[in-house]
Amino acid sequence: MSEYILELNDITKIFPGVKALDSVRFNLKRGEIHALVGENGAGKSTFIKTLTGVHQPDGGEIILEGKKVVMSDPIVAQKYGIAAIYQHAASYPDLSVAENIFIGHEFKSGPFIDWGKANREAKKLLDAVGADFSPTASVGSLSVAQQQLVEIAKALSMNAKILIMDEPTAALSRRESEDLYAISRKLRDQGTAIILISHRFEDIYGLADRVTVFRDAQYIGTWDMPVDEHVLVNHMVGREITQLFPKKAAQVGEELLRVDKLCRTGYFKDVSLTVRAGEIVGLTGLVGAGRTEVMQAVFGVTKADSGEVYFQGKRVTGCSPAQAMKMGLGLLPEDRQKEGLLLPWSINYNISLSVLDRCRKGVFLQRQREYEISQDLKKLLAIKAPDTDTLTGALSGGNQQKVVVAKQLAAGPKLIILDEPTKGVDVGSKAQIYEIMSDLASKGMGILMISSEMPEVINMSDRVYVMSEGKVTAEFQAQGLTQDVILKAAMPKSKE
Amino acid sequence: MKKVLSFFKSWEFFLICLLAVTCAIFELKDQANLAAGLAKKDVFNFVNIVRSLRPYLLYAFMTLGMMLILALGDMDISVGAIATLSVVMLAIVYRFFTQSGMNNMLAFVLSILACLVTGVLCGGVNGFLVTRFKELFPMIITLATQLFFRGFSYLLIGGETITFKDDTFALLKELNSLIDLGWVKLPVMIPIFLAFAAVFFVWLHLTSGGRKVFAIGTNPTTARYSGVQVDRIKMICYVIAGLMSAVTGIFFVGATSSSVKADIMDGYHMYAIAAAILGGFSTDGGKGSVIGAVLSLFIFGILKIGLGTLFGFPDSSVNLSVGVILILSVLIPNISQDIKNANRVRKQRAQTAMQKA
Repeated sequence: MSEYILELNDITKIFPGVKALDSVRFNLKRGEIHALVGENGAGKSTFIKTLTGVHQPDGGEIILEGKKVVMSDPIVAQKYGIAAIYQHAASYPDLSVAENIFIGHEFKSGPFIDWGKANREAKKLLDAVGADFSPTASVGSLSVAQQQLVEIAKALSMNAKILIMDEPTAALSRRESEDLYAISRKLRDQGTAIILISHRFEDIYGLADRVTVFRDAQYIGTWDMPVDEHVLVNHMVGREITQLFPKKAAQVGEELLRVDKLCRTGYFKDVSLTVRAGEIVGLTGLVGAGRTEVMQAVFGVTKADSGEVYFQGKRVTGCSPAQAMKMGLGLLPEDRQKEGLLLPWSINYNISLSVLDRCRKGVFLQRQREYEISQDLKKLLAIKAPDTDTLTGALSGGNQQKVVVAKQLAAGPKLIILDEPTKGVDVGSKAQIYEIMSDLASKGMGILMISSEMPEVINMSDRVYVMSEGKVTAEFQAQGLTQDVILKAAMPKSKE
Repeated sequence: MKKVLSFFKSWEFFLICLLAVTCAIFELKDQANLAAGLAKKDVFNFVNIVRSLRPYLLYAFMTLGMMLILALGDMDISVGAIATLSVVMLAIVYRFFTQSGMNNMLAFVLSILACLVTGVLCGGVNGFLVTRFKELFPMIITLATQLFFRGFSYLLIGGETITFKDDTFALLKELNSLIDLGWVKLPVMIPIFLAFAAVFFVWLHLTSGGRKVFAIGTNPTTARYSGVQVDRIKMICYVIAGLMSAVTGIFFVGATSSSVKADIMDGYHMYAIAAAILGGFSTDGGKGSVIGAVLSLFIFGILKIGLGTLFGFPDSSVNLSVGVILILSVLIPNISQDIKNANRVRKQRAQTAMQKA
């Protein structure tokens, strides 16, 4: 018998217009955690979908425990013991934990479902993954981390031999991520083979035994861990990245934004902060600390209960997003697909949306003017697409993010708030986005960056605010700042 | 060249073909009837069609308003009830002023104004509720306001039929008249409607306001984050939809012997939705074209004329064919996309195989 539980050879998958996988291979040993990495659009998701029977490959073979198999649909894959848990858990929020775990393979007693047994078995599985909530709780009331445990328990309930984790820590805090690492190691030691897909180097270096790199739908190579981070990045990007954080010196000017004791019951309390021209200010903290909510209130998406916001010395509390943009405040929302882009629209239409009133001549829109604006920005931000008529839905994550940035820049902001600007963005685009930020700051724009990624907070910011449980708990100069200091300020006081 | 090609792939082109096919079938049937001696002369010709289009264009104004609502990704099923309430107001105001001794002409102008204002106010109520209570589906809100508006109409005039016989009120009948152009008798309604449609076309497709409507329909959250005043534009659209309902009401009264009841124009919203959807608008919002909607109004009209006069189907059973066309119109784009995708994949596979060989 081969040393591999799973082998995929020469897998090719063609979609209308693109070759998503080009003769890639991958193998998995029993009881190992094998990381699959690559930039967005490298083919990781398609690969997983081919393995779980969602897509049928156009060529190649899948060998499971020495036998050639065909994953004709997801149920077949499940029967072979392959289970996947996704970043956004595909669970049913209104059903209970036990119902979610056993959906599709309930314990029957005659025509009825044996709930007593389901709840007992669910409890056993939850204990196995170290979860402390009840099997009768509704999944919607759980945190993202807890929902992920439900998904893992569900995978275990189907006796999964191979577990696929797609960006499992993307929405988790550091503490929760570490709990997930512990569970993953435990499962590995019990013989489960795990495929880990992640953009986070912490995950890869903390967990993986081996790593495989895909790039542009092709197989690049497989290495035993640990691999030098620099080497791994170069394999993923396909070129040398010399400087990830190109921080330029900028002249810090007048105060642009001042938030004074802003409160919104249940979300944040007494938040005060300032941003000056030419300054990059980091706003960090754990997920759920209230950072996004504060900025939504500043930008006018929601209303604060009390407190004031000043922009260039003028009181602007309670303005609408349209007014905020008119006076020179831009916001790059956290979820670029749901809040930042009109995916069925072209790059051109997306960018011009924020400046339509400036593309007018009389009552009529001037197409020519729209194209001028969007083509300039496409060039400035190096958006990778054939032309500005390309639909944004067809772009990679990094390029989509650049289109959202372009849309904000088109409006000519003096200060731009970036909410997790590099979330889900591959490493090559990350470096480009940092460079754009540096350039903007050196031209005198104020930048407020919400981020959970400690390296970018420390390396890109001039000053850093830390939030915890809805309050600003600390303010630091970025010079000489370390992760430990930030984390100490970010930890909820009640849990210490 | 590229523009010409894209026209042949457009939905409007498909509608023109559909219109042509429908006319061709009716023309053949007409000729067959003649040959078989069932008819003395041909009935299905341009002059006849244009002359008899009128009753089928009543809800056309309502369709223009519905287009905006569908482009927003919403649904307004209260438009029929708004039209009714508007003309009920028209009748009440006219009766009140003429009975209190006011000059007929002045009363007439005031009552028309009252009718339009009622439409605007009803649209405003819809717009307010939709933008204020975002957690409710617009369809549910307008279902509720539909019942409210219709109930209010009954409250005002009960089961009574209000009829006016004076010359001033009869001016409304002019809206239902025909202009004799010599070679064809053109209903007054058609040029008025086309003028309205042209205004809608310009606003929806050539101005920033229209672009914003489609942006909201595609993704309201993104639109908001991009500085689009979502609530304001939604409000404007609902008010326009209300206003167009009132206009529909005025034409309806003109077409039906100047009498007003509280149960008229029931179900008109369905025709308006059907025409807009065949025209390329979608309940998902974010797409559609005014030209398409205008074409589908004419398709529905000609279909009813043809099936009624040539095949002798009663008007109510003609709705069946409208239903069939509507379902096909939604299915065809999906099917053609599937075929296109399959072809592209096949081509690429062939290429890959060649590269390997």
